[in-house]
Amino acid sequence: MVSEKNIRVKIDELKSSIGLLKGFELSIGKIVSEEWLEEVGPTQFPKIPDLREWDLKLLQRYKPFYMPFCDLCCLCTFGKCDLTGDKRGACGINMSAQQSRIVLLACCIGAATHAGHARHLIEHLIEKYGRDHPIDVGGGNVEIEAPITRLVCGIRPRTLGDLEEVLSYLEREIVRLLAATHTGQEASNIDFESKVFHAGMIDHVALEIADIAQISALGYPKADPEAPLVELGLGVVDSTKPVIMVVGHNVPPAAAIVDHLIENNLYGGVEVVGLCCTAHDVTRYNPKAKIVGPISWQLRFIRSGVADVVVVDEQCVRTDTIIEAQKVKAPVIATSDVNCIGLPDRTRDSVEKIVEDLVLNGQPGALILDPEKAAEVAVKTALLIAPKRMKFKALPDVSDIIEGAKKCRKCDDCRRACPNDLPVRDALAETLEGNLNALADLYEACVGCGRCESACPVDLPLHSFIVKAAEKRIKEEKYKLRVGRGAIQDVEIRKVGSPIVLGEIPGVVAFVGCANYPNGGTEVAEMAAEFAKRRYIVVASGCAAMSIGMYKDEEGKTPYEAFPGAFDAGGIVNVGSCVSNSHIAGAAIKIASIFAKRRLRANYEEIADYILNRVGAVGVAWGAMSQKAAAIASGFWRLGVPVIVGPHGLKYRRMLLGRKDKPEDWYVYDARTGEKVYVGPAPEHLFYAAETKEEAMVMIAKLCMRPNDTTRGRAIKLSNYIDLHKRFFGTMPDDIHLFVRTLADVPLTMREEVIKILEEKGWKENIIPDPTLLPRLVRKKAGE
Amino acid sequence: MSMFADIPVGVGEVYSGERIRWQDTYVEFGGLRVQYKFELVKVRKMDEVVDGKITIIGPDIKDLEPQKSYSLGIFIEVAGSQVEEELEGVIERRIHEYTNYIEGMMHLNQRYDIWIRLSKKSFEKGLNSFHIIGKIYQRLFKSELPIIEKIQITFITDPEKVKEMYDYALKEYEKRDARARGLKDEEVDAFYGCTLCQSFAPTHVCVITPQRYSNCGAISWFDARASARIDPKGPVFRIEKGECIDPVKGEYTGVNDVVKMKSGGEIQRVWLYTAFGYPHTSCGCFEGIAFYIPEVDGFGIVHRGFAELTPIGVPFSKLADSTAGGRQVDGFHGISIEYMRSPKFLQADGGWERVVWVPSAVLERVKDFIPKHLVDKIATEKDAKTVEELKNFLVAKGHPIVKRWEEKAKAEAAAKPVEEKALPAVAAPEAAAEMAVPVSVGVVGGFRIILKNAKIRAERVKIVREKGK
Repeated sequence: MVSEKNIRVKIDELKSSIGLLKGFELSIGKIVSEEWLEEVGPTQFPKIPDLREWDLKLLQRYKPFYMPFCDLCCLCTFGKCDLTGDKRGACGINMSAQQSRIVLLACCIGAATHAGHARHLIEHLIEKYGRDHPIDVGGGNVEIEAPITRLVCGIRPRTLGDLEEVLSYLEREIVRLLAATHTGQEASNIDFESKVFHAGMIDHVALEIADIAQISALGYPKADPEAPLVELGLGVVDSTKPVIMVVGHNVPPAAAIVDHLIENNLYGGVEVVGLCCTAHDVTRYNPKAKIVGPISWQLRFIRSGVADVVVVDEQCVRTDTIIEAQKVKAPVIATSDVNCIGLPDRTRDSVEKIVEDLVLNGQPGALILDPEKAAEVAVKTALLIAPKRMKFKALPDVSDIIEGAKKCRKCDDCRRACPNDLPVRDALAETLEGNLNALADLYEACVGCGRCESACPVDLPLHSFIVKAAEKRIKEEKYKLRVGRGAIQDVEIRKVGSPIVLGEIPGVVAFVGCANYPNGGTEVAEMAAEFAKRRYIVVASGCAAMSIGMYKDEEGKTPYEAFPGAFDAGGIVNVGSCVSNSHIAGAAIKIASIFAKRRLRANYEEIADYILNRVGAVGVAWGAMSQKAAAIASGFWRLGVPVIVGPHGLKYRRMLLGRKDKPEDWYVYDARTGEKVYVGPAPEHLFYAAETKEEAMVMIAKLCMRPNDTTRGRAIKLSNYIDLHKRFFGTMPDDIHLFVRTLADVPLTMREEVIKILEEKGWKENIIPDPTLLPRLVRKKAGE
Repeated sequence: MSMFADIPVGVGEVYSGERIRWQDTYVEFGGLRVQYKFELVKVRKMDEVVDGKITIIGPDIKDLEPQKSYSLGIFIEVAGSQVEEELEGVIERRIHEYTNYIEGMMHLNQRYDIWIRLSKKSFEKGLNSFHIIGKIYQRLFKSELPIIEKIQITFITDPEKVKEMYDYALKEYEKRDARARGLKDEEVDAFYGCTLCQSFAPTHVCVITPQRYSNCGAISWFDARASARIDPKGPVFRIEKGECIDPVKGEYTGVNDVVKMKSGGEIQRVWLYTAFGYPHTSCGCFEGIAFYIPEVDGFGIVHRGFAELTPIGVPFSKLADSTAGGRQVDGFHGISIEYMRSPKFLQADGGWERVVWVPSAVLERVKDFIPKHLVDKIATEKDAKTVEELKNFLVAKGHPIVKRWEEKAKAEAAAKPVEEKALPAVAAPEAAAEMAVPVSVGVVGGFRIILKNAKIRAERVKIVREKGK
């Protein structure tokens, strides 16, 4: 795309054979010369109402099922209003609208966070690499560089500068969406839900432009299935060296630290370790960096005293970081305007002065909004302070634990405060018998939130007790993770087309999101390995991708060592950080373009319809936590990809559940004939909370079914569904008959038992249509 | 009740992906450590087969020493009024699938190259005899392929006996291959169609003939015939050839009718052996692409695994994007590797004589099927990375395409279209009296525009270059 900005032409008087101009002034904000000949679809830069009709179609089938997390509304001073039963609040709102409204609010926060992150990152990269720096996410293997942006915005970004227009669009929409949550605005719960979808879609665009910008400019792996393996875990940190810990999501400060170390020949002498998504991205930048772990490892790592300097950027950073870091005498450098943590702005001060204040004058930290300067300060401070700190830690001795146990009042407030209901008190009591194992066992399931400590009436540092008790295990926390590879190659997608239709690959499962798992990250790793073994394509991102790595099989291999990194049957693909989730949605979108040559450009509804009806992909966010996760999930729903969350996901206030008992909900048009055809509940739900790992696995297999499945494809999907159901629940599923369209769908090895069930249920054969929910896509026969 | 309730281990599609490592292996059959191994299916007359019979020649699994590799022959004889000799290959390949369905068994490769492992765990669970494996095979074969009325299976572990049968098996494979390769499109009454890919590419219909494999390279005419017979309502179906309209281009009335119907009217006619005019449609999962290079009037071929640029400066992914989606695109043709081995390959366009560039990896795979005099005249990525280099190579090697150029040596000097400048020179308004209105889009003349004190503000002006300019 050729573009020029801000052109002004003034003509006082002009006579020519075709016209006369007097006092003519032409001012053009931006001229875009299009080289992209693909026809523009119906919804370029869509506004809230543009895709509403599609949303209503989805919401008609997948109705919101509310689970109020809070019965009150306390957003305005009319309230608090009790909304239980059929009560309405002072503004007239009812419970369902209020729940959806809060969901919208959460999704706006999520989308704003990603859009803000994208803005920050892109502006920084433009400043550093220029507006004309080309977008390149995979060289010749990736033809469609920005599937979501093409689909939503209808533009094909060629350079970093092209992304600015997208940012403006995102910001405008987020403002509109947020406005809808004001008192006395939107009234309908369904319209709130439609706006939730809109926020989700906006969020996905933000994710995509942020990630393709950093992939293109920072030299990350470009769609590389063989991206290198990096070290992961608390045990991999070399604590004999000065250690800089980076936390958050926005990589420029962390990248600048790596650059500074390399330029000054210090790289071998200082450890750079990361937590949360900055960790992903700093290893994408330089695979010698190390990852401590997901978000939940913040508290325990800081208290371990290993980090000499803590550099925080934005998102999911513990807000007590400064307090905790002070306990171990480690200075904190804040680098983002969305997270100033009360520190003085030192951006304009000299590096030497800041370092002096941090190292000698005991200042707790500094806000430095220039990544390069922040990096230089971090490195110099780490080198100078490391010998002084001597890895001063805030962890107790074993004797302290036993002393603590004696002080315990056994009130059990710790357990009540624990999001995972861990028996902290009982475990502590066992230490009086000299047994630290029970306490150490809690470590596996602990999400590191520290709420037990806050709740303790006698101020016992319970989290530290747990970490101390597990000290030996922590030292063994040494794993491998395949560096986030970014996009999925077009060629890889092409390659799996045939095995998918031939029934060799049952589906695509994406493990994404946060890490506040009910029983530790092990469950995520086990699920990922199980589905990879079953020849599904497994993709992962963010903290979930780290959790998958923090697991070893009987041979001592992590899943990233045991399974290949290709987007193929039995592969486990780490796409990267939170913003890399866009490549998962992007892969689904690309399928429509690659196999059916559907136009992507500004053609959202048609592509979402294609994905809902054809692409057997399921997202799993086992540790649902943040508002960003809510926004990411919403983006998948609008696109027609179901999402399963762990038990904590119930706190997202409502599920989007289909009703398999209502056959009328499960009709599609056969695009060949225009007839309405029953296709069974596939996929049955759009948003579903599973209470156990086992329930989730059965549901994953089930939600991979789509109306377009070939008979061989359906057979392999059914055999996995039935097999998992039998294995975990001990019975045949009660709804097999709804998923068998013709007898060829029945898995060969289960033929007898399934046919018997079909007979009992009075099953009738059905046709396999060319499925769509959009009547306009019905093809007219030739001559009609 | 499950049909495998009496089997000590699980049997199901879900075990297909199992990999069994050596340290978990109880015994191994075939593979690299063993010279003689095979699996063979023969169709027999009804009275020559005893249904359900399982014979073991040599020691059974439980009599073998663990953690060792052994010779093995699996010999399956089937009979049924509708089972023809041509289906032997198709039936035989099921052995691979079925063995992998068994929990704790891994089967790789086929024919004389088989490699089977049985895990320690499954052995301990009781999978210790070929009788059990034979029973599983028999049930699966009869359940999936009801045309098999009788089936008897012989497992041979006695190394001497395996060796004896091995030679017989090799001869059988050879006979079968010769038969398959020799079978011409002209010799059969029917082709087969496959619409499996319609689940993703709704207008694509694959036409599979004895001399034209499916685009994905996974389904031969024999496979298709078996599938259509087993599941008559399924995605693979018989196409009566009908009348042959053009034997060179490969147009048949029967094919046209069926494709028209199955593509919902999207595709009206198909020429099977050419990349021009009405070429066979391409889904999305073709193994390779034959693409026309106008500068040399020949075809380049590129396959999925080729990550570099083709001489025309674009990679596979971009070419694939121009080819895919169930459309007919002149000069872009999605193909299987196997089709390149066919005498019908691009027959109407000159076949291999018209092919000028092929990645070396593909050339290696198909070179035995390329006319001998051509093999070293076709460029690979090692010879030519640009069209210019390609031309030079072809001339230097005397590729027959060069003659074609000479014959076609007419004037090719058509003036290049003048490129429309994105934005005319608005910066110098006082210059020419004959100046076009600055915003040139859509102004055709025949009317005058008078603007006085006009202020035009545009947030965004879009200039779309028309196609072909």
